[in-house]
Order: sequence, then C-alpha cells, then structure tokens
Amino acid sequence: MEREGVSRALRSALAFGATIIVALSACSRRSAAVPPSNDLLIIGYDREPDTLNRFSTHILEDIQTCIIEGLTTTDEAMRVVPLLAQDVPTIDNRGVKLRADGGMDVIWRLRPDIKWHDGQPFTSADVKFTVDAINSPNYNPESTDGFDRITSVDTPDPLTAVVHYKEIYAPYDIQFIRGTLPKHILEGRDIDRAQDYNRSPLGTGPYRVAEWKAGEYILLERVPHYWRGDDVPRIKKLLFRFVANTNTRINQLKSGEVHVVALVPWDKYREIAAMTTMVVHKTPGNAYEHVTLNERQFPPFADVRIRRALIQAIDRELYVKTILDGLAPVTHGAIQPVSWAYTDQVTKYAFDPGKSRALLDAAGWTPGADGIRAHDGKRLAFTLITQAGFAIRENIAQAIQRQLRDIGVDVKVELHDGTAISALWFEGKFEAMLHWWQMPSDPELTTFFAADRTPPAGRNINYYRNDELTKLLYASDRTVDRAERTRLLQAAQRMLADDVPEIPLYSVTRLDAVPASLQHFKGNPTNTGIFWNVDEWEIR
Amino acid sequence: MGNQVARFLARRSLQALPLLFVISVLVFLLIHAAPGGPLAIYLANPNVRPEDIERLRRALGLDRPLWVQYWSWLTAFARGDWGYSFSDGRPVIARIAERLPATLELAAVSLAGALLVTLPAGVAAGVRRGRWVDRATSALATAGISLPAFWFGLVLQIVFATGLGWLPSSGRSTPGADDFGDHVSHLVLPALVLIVVQAAAWSRYLRGSVIDTLAEPFVAAARARGIPRRQVLVRHVLRNAIGPVLAVVMVDAALLVSGAVVTESVFAWPGIGSLFTEALARRDYTVLMALLMLTSTAIVVLNLVADLAHALVDPRVALT
Repeated sequence: MEREGVSRALRSALAFGATIIVALSACSRRSAAVPPSNDLLIIGYDREPDTLNRFSTHILEDIQTCIIEGLTTTDEAMRVVPLLAQDVPTIDNRGVKLRADGGMDVIWRLRPDIKWHDGQPFTSADVKFTVDAINSPNYNPESTDGFDRITSVDTPDPLTAVVHYKEIYAPYDIQFIRGTLPKHILEGRDIDRAQDYNRSPLGTGPYRVAEWKAGEYILLERVPHYWRGDDVPRIKKLLFRFVANTNTRINQLKSGEVHVVALVPWDKYREIAAMTTMVVHKTPGNAYEHVTLNERQFPPFADVRIRRALIQAIDRELYVKTILDGLAPVTHGAIQPVSWAYTDQVTKYAFDPGKSRALLDAAGWTPGADGIRAHDGKRLAFTLITQAGFAIRENIAQAIQRQLRDIGVDVKVELHDGTAISALWFEGKFEAMLHWWQMPSDPELTTFFAADRTPPAGRNINYYRNDELTKLLYASDRTVDRAERTRLLQAAQRMLADDVPEIPLYSVTRLDAVPASLQHFKGNPTNTGIFWNVDEWEIR
Repeated sequence: MGNQVARFLARRSLQALPLLFVISVLVFLLIHAAPGGPLAIYLANPNVRPEDIERLRRALGLDRPLWVQYWSWLTAFARGDWGYSFSDGRPVIARIAERLPATLELAAVSLAGALLVTLPAGVAAGVRRGRWVDRATSALATAGISLPAFWFGLVLQIVFATGLGWLPSSGRSTPGADDFGDHVSHLVLPALVLIVVQAAAWSRYLRGSVIDTLAEPFVAAARARGIPRRQVLVRHVLRNAIGPVLAVVMVDAALLVSGAVVTESVFAWPGIGSLFTEALARRDYTVLMALLMLTSTAIVVLNLVADLAHALVDPRVALT
C-alpha cells in the first residue's frame, strides 16, 4: 500500500517530465532561426533604448539613425558628409561667415523635396524650431552643446536656415548631426513627455517604428517613398532584439536567431570569426584606453619625471599582443588615427624599465626596505580604480600593477561598477583610473586638458596644468580654418606626448559581427553607429 | 471562522503598514547611498558637459535635500502617483504594468511546475528514506541547489538553441509568429531553470518534514486503526508535513513574482526582473523604489497567505 502511494507520486513526476518533453518536441522544428534576408535582418542589441528622441537619449543612437536624419552625418572614416543638407557649409563655399563682432553665421542649404514620414515638407522652419526647443527651459535634452551659443536662426526661405552664433564654434558642422525636431508635431508641447514622438519619432529616414514591445524588441519597417528612391532601402524590416546578457547575445548569433551583433567584446572575437556565415568587421575607433593620473589626489604625479617613468615601465606592446589578442593598436595620445587632426609625429615611449628607474632615482625616489620607493617619508604608492566585470580592464590593471612593482611603485587595484566609476571621476575622487574616453568626432581637446577645465567645468581629471597648452587649445576652438586648426591641434598633441599628463594605452577597435551575405556594410567609429548607411545595405 | 479570518487579515495589514514605511526609508537611503546617480550614465558621452549635468540635476529635482526628495516621493507614492522613470521619462506605473504579465506568467508556470515535482519527489524521498528513490532525488536536488541559475541557463541555451535548434534561446516571442506554440517554446527554458532551482530546494524541505511527521505517534495510530497507507500518507502525513514547506514556497513565490532577476536577464525575458537589473544599472531611483516596495509588499502579503494556508490545512494552527 505504501508502495502504491510512492509509485503514484513517481508516476506523476514522470508524467510531468513527459509533459516537458512533449512541450519540447512540440516546439522542435519550429526553430526561431531564420536566415538573414532582404525581408528581415535581426540585430541583437545590448540594451533597450530609453527614448527614440535623438536629442534626449543617452545611449548609442543606432536605432534612431535609421529613422531620423541629420543635416550632416559622419561616415566610416569619421568625415563629416552632407545628408539633409546640400553640402557642408565652409568658409570656402561661403556657407560660413565670420562676423566683425567675433560671432559667426552658418548658412545651411537644405535638400529640396524632403518630406517627413507623414508627407509634410521638411523645411528650415524645422531647423529653427529645433534650436528654439533645445534652448528653451521647458525641454531637457541630453546636451545643449553648441546650441547654447546660437543667438537666433533666420529662415529667409524654406530651404535656407541661417544660424547665428555669438562666438566662433568649431564643430558647427555636426551641430545638426542628430537631426531636427518636426515643428508641426511638437510645437507648443512638452517634449520630455511627448511619448507619441519619443516612442515612435517622425523622421525623414529610410525606416519608421512598426512596433516597440517593451523589454523585447523594436521592429522597424521601411517607409514607402524614401527620398533616395522607391527601391531604397533594400531590407524591408529591421528587428532590434534587446539581449542584455553578452553570452546570450553570442549564443543567439550562433543559433542564427540574430544576424548582427554590434560592439562584439574582443574576447569573443575568435569564437565568432570562426563562423563561416559571419564576418567580423574591424573599424578603427575613436576611443582610447588610458591611465588617468590625478595630480590633485596624488601630488607626485605632478612631476613629469614620475609620469615619464611610469609610461616606460608599462609594456603596452605586450598587452596588445596578449590581453588584446592583437585587435587594438597601441596609441600615443588622445587624438586617434581616424581623426583628421591626428599626427604620429610625437614622442613615443618604448618599454624601458631601466630608464624608469633612472628617472625615479633622479627625482629623489629611492627604494625602501620593502622595495617600494619613497621620498621625504612618502611612499610611491597609489590606488588604480577601474571597472568591475570588464575582463580586459581587470587583466590590464593587474599587468600594470605587476610591472610598476618592478620599478618600485606600489599599485593597489580597486574595482567599481560602471555607474559608480562615472561618479568617482566626476568628483575627482581617485588617484589613478584605467578607463577610456569616447572622443567627440570633432577633435576637441580643450575639455580634456585645458587647465581651467577640471570638473565640474570639464573633463580634465588629470588636474593637469599647462598654461601654454591651455592657450593653444582655446585658440584651436576659436578658428574654423581647418588648416590652422590642424596646425594648432598637432602642436598640442606633441606637447601632450612630451609631457605625458596621462598614460595612453591603446586605440579602441570596434568589432561588429554581420552576416557574410550582407553587402555595403561600412561601419562607423562614432556615436552615429553602424546604421548610418543602412539604406545601402543588402543581403545577397 | 470567517470572522476570525477577517480580524486576522485586518490586524496583520495594520501591522504591515509601519513595517513597509520603515522599509521604504531604508531602501530610499540605500539606493541613494550607492555611488553614482541617474545622471552618471550621461557622462560617457563626450558631448555632455558638466553644465548639462547640472541642468538635468535641477530638472529631475536631484539638487534638493534628500529628506525633501524622500518626502515628495512618499506623499506622491501614497496617493498612487509613482512618478516618472528617470531613464525614459515615462510613468513608472506604465513601465511596471507592461513588464508584469511576463513575470507573472513565468512565476506561475515555474511555481506550478516546481510544486508538481516537489510533492511526489519530496514525499517519495521521505517515505523511502535511504532507498534508491531517496538517494537519486537527493543527488539531483543537491545538483539543482548548487547550479548557478545564470550558468545553467546558458548551458540550456547552448544545448537546446545553439546545438539542437529546438527552442529559441531567449526572448518571449517571435515577431510575426506570435501564436501559442511560439509562446510556449520561449517559456520552456527559463521556466525549466526556475523549476529545477526551486524544486531542488523545496523537495529537500518536504523530505525532512515528511520524515519528522512519519515519526509522530498519530501516524502509527492511524496505521493501527487500519486506515489504508495511501490515505495515511495524503491525509495525515502530507497534510502535516506541508505546513513548514508552504512558508518557504510563499517567500520564494514572492521573490518570483517580483522578478527572477538572474534568469530573466539571461533569457532576455521582458519581466520585472530584467527591468530591475536595468533600473539598477542606471540608478533609476523612481523605478527602483517602486519595484522594491512591490517586492516588500509581495513578501508581506504572501507570508500572510502562507499563514492562512497553513491554518487551513492544519487545524491545530490558530490564526493569531
């Protein structure tokens, strides 16, 4: 009898197991994998956007780029190219006029016959509305950079917008890279709360939102009469699935459930590159990993001999070959090769711990009983903070710790989560930090190195002070003459390489996994993202 | 009995209010003490200048003293106004409402599944203590308890999605193929992870409880009276043994209902758990507060339910 009770129990357990197996097999052969085609391309995306309003979002603008077009955009080599503008205004084409009062006027000539997705014409009134909205206290965009220097916008005709700046603003050519806000939809409204627009924005681009399923996906569909022609874009639907977990995203790529994964982590490169159906595109990036040396929190960093000693004790070539698997090149400064302002004619420091020791000896830092150098009773010991859960950073931090120990410098490594680390740097509460800056596509250095741009006035978190450099940097911001700007920025790069206010490590390479059958993929090193030329994409 | 239940519910609810208030203060202080705030994430963008951060801080009211922020949150929350998400500007209540069905569905299926496994496995192991059934379920349960959910989830993906291609590896639906079968196929793997993890723990509790109950004199008495074994097992043993297990089940249920954080993230399941992970990473204070208050409330309520249920199956337990 007891046996019967038990076997009954067992039987129901078996029955349950059988149910699961039946469920499994019922679903088998209805695999979620469909190959990429011109009907549907599926993108595994690492997070759900907060909003599709390009001016409000604070994450990458990949999805927005498919819907909303700027007056200009940046291409795969970070060149600024016209999109809804007929050309990029310059002094030479008389699109930029410097005024006697120190201000400047930028004349945007818009492409004719562009229509919003609802059929309304796109005009200079939309440009003016956008500037007014962003400068209005009633709207809270992510950044008002540049807009806050615009005094007014004139619209002499529907295709001409004249933007008046109160001072010279060098990156004027990307002022409207995030597009414009449609006046006829948003005028007089609370844009922060205009959920109809923010969830399904009206644009002029090749796609529009078909469905946004919270927490799951955004489905974009092609618009019927895109201005580049009725046969563009070729791919009918783009599906962005939100898959936060990196391993899951890679699993989905392997099972064929997603076709594109942007920003593949370097330690997954080999795994994906081995798949014959995939191509991993490498785009030289515009971010650089470096060690920030906070002179305010750790005053010995203010001595250039110490900084030069540190950079020569770190074998950057070795890190690139081993930890980075050769995927990202060593860099020697804040401006990356992809930028027009880049120069490689700067001092480069090879790995030479002998020189490091000599420099430290000369600076009066001599090894104590524990092997750690000291000077006037102060040990050469500092804490290096970096982001937790980022394997490459953790490995590099440990390698730095080890190599600096060899020259008698004691480094303690501390890991923090990504959000916490942003707060720490913003308050300047750290001694050294391993991190990267995503650089703006315009090669401005002022906010990173000018003496008066320490937080909260900027990003000079080395608390580095060089008055000559500061003057040079401000001069570079106050000219729109490309040749003159290049000369000033290259002089600044040389000065920075000599002075080593921070230790540049490597230039960040972007890895994007796409189907081998995808044609015309070009990549993009900026926040504009890889979809900037999605209208050309085609599966073949 | 009905009157007694009503009085019990009224008293316990009144006790819960100050508890929830204290929890809300603690949770508020804790999430504000975590380094970084809702604006930290903006700093990654080089075009966001410190003056932008200051402007946004004022706009979000984060420049006010902490107690002012708490008070305005509390008064609004008490009125049913949960505020707007700091990350996407939409009403918190809308963000939670759109995620709730996914979580409830996953919780219901895995609770039911786990109970279906737990009851026979726990009873069998307890009754046949030391025999192969016991040893086998013990081994499986130990494995189930030790499996980290994220790892187990990834292994299931590799086997059933990447390898066999039978099931989707993650998500809740396939756009365009949103039928019942598609729905079930997305549910299988995350539910399986939760079922295994829960059933492993619960069946151990039930086994212990069954063994204890079997040793009670009333079981021997029932058998002596010639009551059929199966009836003894179900009416006398299980009924007494299930009480303590129910308390554990209810707490786990409360946690499941407030989102299986790890499992939902691994399977990109669009529920409360993945919303919580996202809100935590972005320090979305309003969403975090609402979710943590919901979790606390769920635990309080389901504890109450457990006590009620215990009293119903075991007449010796009084409602106090």
